[in-house]
Amino acid sequence: MTDFLDPLPWLIMLPLAWGTLAFVLGPGRGGRLAVAAIALQGALALQLAGQLIDSGARVYAVGGWGAPLGIDLMADGLAAVMLLLTQAVALPLAVYARGYFAASPKGRELFWPFTGFLLAALNALFLSADLFNIYVTLELLGLAAVGLVAIAGGRQPVTAAMRYLFATLLGSGAWLLGVALIYGTYGSVSLAVLTPLIHAGAPLAVTLAAALMLAGLLLKTALFPFHFWLPPAHGGAPAPVSALLSALVIKATFYLALRLWLELFAPLTTVAAAQLLGVLGAAAILWGSVLALTQSRLKMLVAYSTVAQVGYLFLLFPLATLVPPGTADSALAGGVMQAVAHGLAKAAMFAATGSMIVATGRDDISRLGGVGARLPLTLFSFGLAGVTLMGLPPSGGFSAKWLLLGSALESGQWWWVVVMIVGGLLTAAYVFKVLRRAFLPRAAGDRVARVPRTLEFSAFALALASILLGLFGAPLLELLAVGREA
Amino acid sequence: MKAWLTALIALLCSGLALALGAAMLALPEFAVRLPGQVAANLDASGVAHPVTAVLLNFRGYDTLLEVAVLLLALLGVFALSRHASDHAHPAAPAHPVLQTLARLLAPLMVLVAGYLLWIGAYAPGGAFQAGAVLAAAGVLLRLAGLLPAWAQPGRLLRGGLALGLLVFLAVAVAGLPQGELLHYPPALASPLILLVEAGLTLSIGLTLAGLYLASAGWRQ
Repeated sequence: MTDFLDPLPWLIMLPLAWGTLAFVLGPGRGGRLAVAAIALQGALALQLAGQLIDSGARVYAVGGWGAPLGIDLMADGLAAVMLLLTQAVALPLAVYARGYFAASPKGRELFWPFTGFLLAALNALFLSADLFNIYVTLELLGLAAVGLVAIAGGRQPVTAAMRYLFATLLGSGAWLLGVALIYGTYGSVSLAVLTPLIHAGAPLAVTLAAALMLAGLLLKTALFPFHFWLPPAHGGAPAPVSALLSALVIKATFYLALRLWLELFAPLTTVAAAQLLGVLGAAAILWGSVLALTQSRLKMLVAYSTVAQVGYLFLLFPLATLVPPGTADSALAGGVMQAVAHGLAKAAMFAATGSMIVATGRDDISRLGGVGARLPLTLFSFGLAGVTLMGLPPSGGFSAKWLLLGSALESGQWWWVVVMIVGGLLTAAYVFKVLRRAFLPRAAGDRVARVPRTLEFSAFALALASILLGLFGAPLLELLAVGREA
Repeated sequence: MKAWLTALIALLCSGLALALGAAMLALPEFAVRLPGQVAANLDASGVAHPVTAVLLNFRGYDTLLEVAVLLLALLGVFALSRHASDHAHPAAPAHPVLQTLARLLAPLMVLVAGYLLWIGAYAPGGAFQAGAVLAAAGVLLRLAGLLPAWAQPGRLLRGGLALGLLVFLAVAVAGLPQGELLHYPPALASPLILLVEAGLTLSIGLTLAGLYLASAGWRQ
């Protein structure tokens, strides 16, 4: 395809360009440029999704060389769903961030350049079909995310950023070691070349590579027990940053784990390994939810909720491994739906949380009294996002959990059903803990200021999207199926 | 608590090392032979040195993203140094011998950087090596007390830091009407690669020097 307006390359080039330009423009500048460019990226992602539905998955040879000499990009339904999620979360958050940094300028100097590079890294990662190129996108993603955690300054955020940096570098290092082993075995890093070469009797180096790469991704996705870095990093950053990180960044490494598991390393997967991932996911759901319940800071509660919600994503592995194809399809649909629903809902929740903190001037759940009366739309958004996280109908979270429950019952793995139900109840407990406080009258001596309208409406747009996803999720599942027939 | 954790980590690391060793001993023959493909396509790449051909043409997309990673690393230093700036101190005046030496060496280093950039087309060299030499000149001048530390980079400096990536991006999308991203028409491949490398040399030099100059005031 030799079309100047082909959406595929522009989805990567555009955020790189505006991120760099925002840096040249100067500290705190570039917000309007970013909003316009992300809107354009959203249109490009929609156009790409349309192309895929019409004519199937696409391979794009960068430089015209083609794998294995050059680097290939690949867009299938799964990649397109993640691209749509990324732009759909980023656009309201960019609008939100402009209002947020106007009200609370700490950390605004470098927010836009970092965000541009972050979105470029995400789009490039979703589209890459080359193991070494994925490593480069992981580095870009990790450094942009660490930079975003550090922008607010102060001892705690910088400590959290350093801890995050070490965790994410260790994860990338494990990935790179795996890539080196694969290259040493087969002489190529192209997914299209490698996939037919890897079979059940692959050499030890390949099994080792698979284990290393998967372990690195789990560390970066903050799956229990690798979640130690996430709450301080996500809970300490400015609200738009927490939203971007929780909604999108951890989804990118989950996406890679899923791709490797279902495609490249599919011949090496075992039921035992899949059950282990499921057990870690279940532990994350329970442990994350319980810790969320015990938090006294609002942002930390939402951050621990992310630890728990990541667990649901990993229930997909035991439900999609060595089971009948129909069951596996419904598990995959459920897992991806969970990623999308959580992305939208958690972005809404962190955005609403940020508004409440700006309004009350402190990050303390016990001082939320009066928020319900002063910021009803923000509290409503928080509640709607909570509905999605709990998995109540008609939200996107309900569709996700319904699909996962269905495949758990079909494959006779009832224990995951128990975990999901208990997790839903715990989620309800910590969401209501916040709602209850916010409905109380304002305590004497506390103040609840108004916040800019853009803060309230962008959070509401995200929360509404997470609910509508449940009602209108069918086209997304149709898109997800593109390129998965084989 | 600490002791058993250390022992566990040591055990895991030794296990990994043994497994890696065992895996190394059992490596099969390559299924794909990339060096042959690089050699076969070298004529069409616009340069005569295989490393430069891979870096700037066959896998130029990786390099494009790596350049963004480099700029991002500097942005990370800026993010931290804004908060450390209270502790910034001017460099202590250096010994006059060092200053004289630095004044003599810096122009020579710029010359070497230009040479490395030019020779990259057909021998080991290129933008990264040339940029590293430029950066070394910057660090040397700073150590000699002839360059101030960067507190807040001005627009000109920011433009210089971003120039390499912006030129690379422009070249990458300029080929889109005729072909894919980063597709160089064979006749223009050579000058386009030189253009990209020239921009990169300046920006890589500034970025690497900046990693030092932006944090130079932190220590005391």
